[in-house]
Amino acid sequence: MTGTDRGFAAAREMASCIDNPARIQAGCNGECYVTVKEEEFGSVVSFLSAGSCVLSGLFCVEGFAPGVRFSLFYVFEKKAGILVVIRNVESRATSIARIFPSASWFERECRDGFGVEFDGAFDDRRLFLHETYPDGFHPLVKSVKNAPITPKQSVEAGGEYPFRKVSGEGVYQVPVGPVHAGIIEPGHFRFSVIGETIFNLEIRMFYKHRGIEKLAEGKRPQDCLRIAEAVSGDESVANATAFCTAVERISHTAVPDRAWYLRTILLEMERICSHLGDQAGMLVDVAFPLGANQFSVQREEVLRMNGHLTGSRFLRGMVCPGGLSRDISREQLQDLGEFIRQFQKGYRVGLKIVLSTTSVIDRFATTGVIRKNLLRPLNITGPAARASGGNVDVRVNHPYGIYETFAPSPKFLNDGDVLSRFTVKASEILDSLDLIGRLLASMPEGPVSGDFAAADGHALTLVESARGENLCWVLVRNGVVERYKVRTASFCNWLVIEHAVQGNIVPDFPVINKSLNLSYSGTDL
Amino acid sequence: MVNALSCFFKKKVTSDTIPVRDDEIEALGLELRREISAVFGRSLAIRELDTGSDNAAEIEINNLSNPYYDVERFGITFVASPRHADVLIVTGAVTHNMAIAARKTYDAMPSPKFVVAVGDDACDGGIFAGTYAVLGGADKIFPVDMKIPGNPPTPTQILTGLLALMRKARQA
Repeated sequence: MTGTDRGFAAAREMASCIDNPARIQAGCNGECYVTVKEEEFGSVVSFLSAGSCVLSGLFCVEGFAPGVRFSLFYVFEKKAGILVVIRNVESRATSIARIFPSASWFERECRDGFGVEFDGAFDDRRLFLHETYPDGFHPLVKSVKNAPITPKQSVEAGGEYPFRKVSGEGVYQVPVGPVHAGIIEPGHFRFSVIGETIFNLEIRMFYKHRGIEKLAEGKRPQDCLRIAEAVSGDESVANATAFCTAVERISHTAVPDRAWYLRTILLEMERICSHLGDQAGMLVDVAFPLGANQFSVQREEVLRMNGHLTGSRFLRGMVCPGGLSRDISREQLQDLGEFIRQFQKGYRVGLKIVLSTTSVIDRFATTGVIRKNLLRPLNITGPAARASGGNVDVRVNHPYGIYETFAPSPKFLNDGDVLSRFTVKASEILDSLDLIGRLLASMPEGPVSGDFAAADGHALTLVESARGENLCWVLVRNGVVERYKVRTASFCNWLVIEHAVQGNIVPDFPVINKSLNLSYSGTDL
Repeated sequence: MVNALSCFFKKKVTSDTIPVRDDEIEALGLELRREISAVFGRSLAIRELDTGSDNAAEIEINNLSNPYYDVERFGITFVASPRHADVLIVTGAVTHNMAIAARKTYDAMPSPKFVVAVGDDACDGGIFAGTYAVLGGADKIFPVDMKIPGNPPTPTQILTGLLALMRKARQA
């Protein structure tokens, strides 16, 4: 049985409450779709909830089916199965956020984008449209042209975003951001603190909302790559691969083996780079510059190797529909092989120094604990989940490209603290190095690009970026992108930080934040 | 386990030579050092402001402080508050959601002040120009003295741009 067949079988099992199995349609990429009537939606959701499924995405599409205004796509996941429940609505729907908490941000996102109201939602504040956006403006509706708008010049009194109120004796608030003290992306953190201890944290994101999804609409798939790469700079390859895989699946494009080998090398280089940056940052935050510099030197070397291989330190402009835009020469790959060997030695030395330094362990251990029982309700993925006992990795659960043959062996830890995340990331770097070595040793010759001609249809793809599961859904109509939905791992993982910091002291927030290293741009879109 | 005594006797980690110098950066840095001294007397304080980038530009600006570049030795410091800054480095197209915070950051800087746009999106809005979510490049909300294009520009290109800014400032 291939991975795709396993996916279909698992998805059909997830949907066993559907009366007629013929209603379950197979998608292009191993996912299954089922359109449910409004009266059966509640029972289907209860069934999926009882079956321990995860809600890994929820998005809205306008005019998907004839005679229907909005279609809500609920993406449920369980092991190898991906079931997309389609629910057609006019302008209102019932909220499922009380059953699947990860739905809360998704529903608020649909509401801002399309104006769909969710009855019974426990949170109906605007999400990515901040105060200065005009009332009644819903940018993703088709009748709204993607053109400059006139925002409000200031926020009227009483119109400010209502943060949750936390009060009590000795509770005070520390507002941080959107502009932070360091060189990082903007976001707002509202701490409620007792003494030095964090009692509650509420995050507010979307300061960087750039309209990524709308920007892709009406463009040929070939012209959307810069958009996919701009979702998050340090996930350029992951998001480009997710997008390209979707349009390749839709058009039944055969991607040559060599292209997938090279794509996989790029994906793993991107992961190494991201993890190294996190590790260096975590060590800066606990005042251990010796280790931090060790890792930041190595990270610069990886960036330079990226530049040597592809001409871009962020590996941009390589992945394209059909394969790769250009080949990487045999000499360059030899350089990479030599680099990997040297790198591995240096990395192990640095790691040993860090993990045998008591002041580091003292700050890392028991700090910022993510409990395992949060993983499913919030759809936490990536190293953050794997450090809390979550057995999730898209490369293993839903292998794409050649990951079925070249399976990584992710490490799972159970403590869920900063130290576990540091250790998981370290083991993933070593694992990726090993994987790149294996790929180089069996690199096939041949072309790096198949003939790509856009075809109409839709597909869902999942890619394991450095931060976790990135979801991408593309609908192509008349040869151009009609809807591009991207949900990065950061979008879901951000909410777990509100839980991870509780009971920790404010000075530990930076290291907890860095240990999760979430992308603001990948969330804000 | 490492204890203080074993650390004292064993080979020092710092004595391993890590080849982290390259001639181009050194030459560029010394030139920059001279220009900064000529314009500001001692050092150049930079505040970074992200108004809607894809985070690649932030990564490259952060890299300026890694041991390969270590730009502090050339007189460049990154400061935590706009009130301490001579230069505001702006990355990303200016989103509607960041516009107010960005103006406040600029207004908080003491004069004379310079603004440098880093990356295609900050220079002119890049791929986001003319869309619903952004105002455009940084020059839509405050005057920009230098534009360093790139997707993103490399650390070397950013240093070259800062050098050009210093030369421009000296002539002004």
